[in-house]
Amino acid sequence: MTVHTRHGDASDGVLAEAVGGRLSRVDGPAKITGAARYAVEQQLEGLLYGALVESTIAAGKVRAIDVTQAEAAPGVVKVLTPDTIMSLRTASDWFGTPPPDKPYCPLARDITFSGQHVAAVIAGTFEQAVAAAALVKVSYDETPAIVDLSDGKAGDGIPIDAMTKEWGDAASAFASAPVRICAAYNTPREYQAPMEPHGLIAHWQGDHLTVWEPSQWLDGMARTYAEWFEVPFENVRLVSPYIGGGFGSKALALSHGAVAAGAARMLGRPVRLVMTRPQTFTGYGGRAATRQTVTIGAGHDGVIQSIVHRGVNETSIDGMWVEPLGSVTSIMYATPNFSSKQNVVRVNSVVPGAMRAPGENPSAFGIESAIDELAYEVGIDPLEIRLRNYAEQDPHAKKAWSTRQLREAFAAGAERFGWARRTPQPRSMRDGNHLIGWGVAAGTYPVRRAYGEARVRILADGSVEVESSSIDMGQGTYTILAQTAAETVGVSADDVVVKLGDSRFPRAGVTGGSRLAGVMTGAVYKAATSALDQLVGLAISDPRSPFHALQANTLVVANGRIASPRGEGPDVSIAELLKSVGRDQIEATGDTMPANSTAEDRYKNYTTIAMSLPHTEGDYSRHSWCAHFVEVRVDEDFGTVRVSRVVSALDSGRLYNPKLAESQWKGGIIMGIGQALLEEGIVDRRHGRIVNDNLADYLVPTNADIPDIEVISVGIPDLHSSALGGKGVGELAIVGIAPAIANAVFHATGKRVRDLPITLEKLI
Amino acid sequence: MTDTKIPVHLEINGRHHDLQIEPRVTLLDALRDRLGLTGTKKGCDHGQCGACTVHVDGERVLACLTLAAQAEGRAITTIEGLAREGELHPVQAAFLEQDAFQCGYCTPGQIMSAVACIREGHAGSDEEIREYMAGNLCRCGAYPHIVAAVRQAALEAAQ
Repeated sequence: MTVHTRHGDASDGVLAEAVGGRLSRVDGPAKITGAARYAVEQQLEGLLYGALVESTIAAGKVRAIDVTQAEAAPGVVKVLTPDTIMSLRTASDWFGTPPPDKPYCPLARDITFSGQHVAAVIAGTFEQAVAAAALVKVSYDETPAIVDLSDGKAGDGIPIDAMTKEWGDAASAFASAPVRICAAYNTPREYQAPMEPHGLIAHWQGDHLTVWEPSQWLDGMARTYAEWFEVPFENVRLVSPYIGGGFGSKALALSHGAVAAGAARMLGRPVRLVMTRPQTFTGYGGRAATRQTVTIGAGHDGVIQSIVHRGVNETSIDGMWVEPLGSVTSIMYATPNFSSKQNVVRVNSVVPGAMRAPGENPSAFGIESAIDELAYEVGIDPLEIRLRNYAEQDPHAKKAWSTRQLREAFAAGAERFGWARRTPQPRSMRDGNHLIGWGVAAGTYPVRRAYGEARVRILADGSVEVESSSIDMGQGTYTILAQTAAETVGVSADDVVVKLGDSRFPRAGVTGGSRLAGVMTGAVYKAATSALDQLVGLAISDPRSPFHALQANTLVVANGRIASPRGEGPDVSIAELLKSVGRDQIEATGDTMPANSTAEDRYKNYTTIAMSLPHTEGDYSRHSWCAHFVEVRVDEDFGTVRVSRVVSALDSGRLYNPKLAESQWKGGIIMGIGQALLEEGIVDRRHGRIVNDNLADYLVPTNADIPDIEVISVGIPDLHSSALGGKGVGELAIVGIAPAIANAVFHATGKRVRDLPITLEKLI
Repeated sequence: MTDTKIPVHLEINGRHHDLQIEPRVTLLDALRDRLGLTGTKKGCDHGQCGACTVHVDGERVLACLTLAAQAEGRAITTIEGLAREGELHPVQAAFLEQDAFQCGYCTPGQIMSAVACIREGHAGSDEEIREYMAGNLCRCGAYPHIVAAVRQAALEAAQ
């Protein structure tokens, strides 16, 4: 069997090893043999183990913490409480906003949500820490909590003016429209639930801190640790060679990290602290619960005249999270009149966070359900109505799309799915006891752009090494950067070693918003080009080079060998050339920052998100696009919904590695199936507590829930979006899946479910 | 509360290991924290995710729900022991070829389950593979490719 697709699979005309080829994951062998060592799996001498104690109330104050029994338990080295943990400084936020000059305590006295860290036990073994943590006795003065958005005490919330988008006169256009629909759409709390729980090993050596921690953003997290502990940024090293899934949840340093690093500093020994699975539901935020109303005014021909959209998402008592609910609403369809506004409501929960396509995901559930409702209202096919309202330019920014292959996506998906065979009436397709429904919905995600940095070395043996502090949590960074360096320098991908996940390497910004591939292929391309130029320059000009006498203007490097373009003269390997000119390596560091950037600019770029480039910068509006076609089977008696078929056509521009991009797309679709049918954080209204805080009760899709999924790439290179023509991949495909399923369920049953997840009691 | 330690002798991937551990130590924590065999992953510690799947006497078990002492005298195989003499096990090779993983964290458990699934005779159809692999969660959503990999390896094993 072929283990590695080495030189084959030119099915799309591209060698597997080149950019755009279907090279298998270069980090794959380590992952399938168990050799890949994830962050907290480092084996350190003298390691101590931490266990967290969490609040059991959602609002109030800690009255007292009795640590007597815990401290007396075997193996316990220290019990940390708000009174005994070292004082830290408040760190800046991810925009780099200067923080208030006040202490930060990662263990709470004032409780604003259930599951807040109030104490921690540090012991000689994991078992001892866990056992002693159960002996810590916390008493509280409890006050009433706002348990969720529907709590009578929650109120209307805080208007977020930055979310307001308006043009035309949406209210009067709606009032005078011949066809009007209005509906409310809700999404619950959802959780990223990566398979690897959050955790870290913190190790101090003098004033230098090393943190092994799964991280989507080494430089951003290093900045936070440095600020907390008031040490120079350079003193903090984050190491994260593999990340067991993040989906937005591993981008920021969190309070459990401060506890572990504080304990390690206080005790002078390395400390490992890993959240339990239940703690991962409250130790950081999942996707905020949302509420939207979408009203559409249209003609009898289905052409939209006005959209009025109002949204609400929950945030925490003392933190701010805005889930941009109007992000898809405002760009998917052409409309002369539009209004979108949003509030956030404070509830007693951990501050919500980023989860795969924050904003776009719930936004699409609203508008892509609503357009389906309009299609039935006016009696037009749900695919046809989307084409009638096709936005030829960005309706909000009033700019041309950089590329928008959405029409092509609809066509390719419909053809492959067999959409033309659909009968429009609800409950009109059936197979025995199963009602069959076919639904369609579109999705989109903006192209988020930033700057990156990489180092490329050509080594004495002719191999190439790439270094970057960016990371690979399964998207395929190791692989596509190997392909980029291989193609640019002119060597085999087998001869490229990519090193990621260490903040000592050249810097990278956050791996989020589907930006990393575009940013880092650009940076590696630049560094590799510079290294290649040096190599060719040496070959031409160094008197010891075998090419010196040739007086060539340029040389060609391919398959690890150097020759003249016309094939005359010598033909030597890179290793032979370097030996002949007496060099043991060639090194180039390249970044994509503007040429006049200062050191401060660079620090800001890599440790905050303040310098991200707007997707509507300049003349174009840049987005990925997709169209999902879904078949569901609904048991008529029991109301159970199974997704039996998915065909999605997607425009992510040029794919750097289609094999890996297809995997990410399918993963997004599968997470979307979970969102549509299974996933919901359930709040115990008495205690403001998430009751299904584990993987048996918070249902994520299993293998048995997932049918065959077909994905079709309809993208074309988009050089307005990235140096090599790609657009975002990772977040796109989840956007639009939930409404496609809800629309299919309506087609199957005649019941419109506007409240996720679509569980059986909503259908019977 | 006790800090009593007991001797536990484990045979892992054909090698003998002597441990002096508390009786409450799970097989999973013995592998990861005491023996440095970190290929077996901890995803939930409650038998809900399957990431810690290993073979004990040839059958798949959840190492997080098994005390190390329970495994004494039985043959334990972990992901590190699957490849023989540097040659990938056919299931491992199929996982790579089919891109049946992304982050890789559930992958050792998936592969150990897949090897057992084929050996049990539960890989006869895609439906059967989905059912018998449903105890191993994958949040990256590699399921269709996992099914393809198990199908491929099962066909090879049948030849």
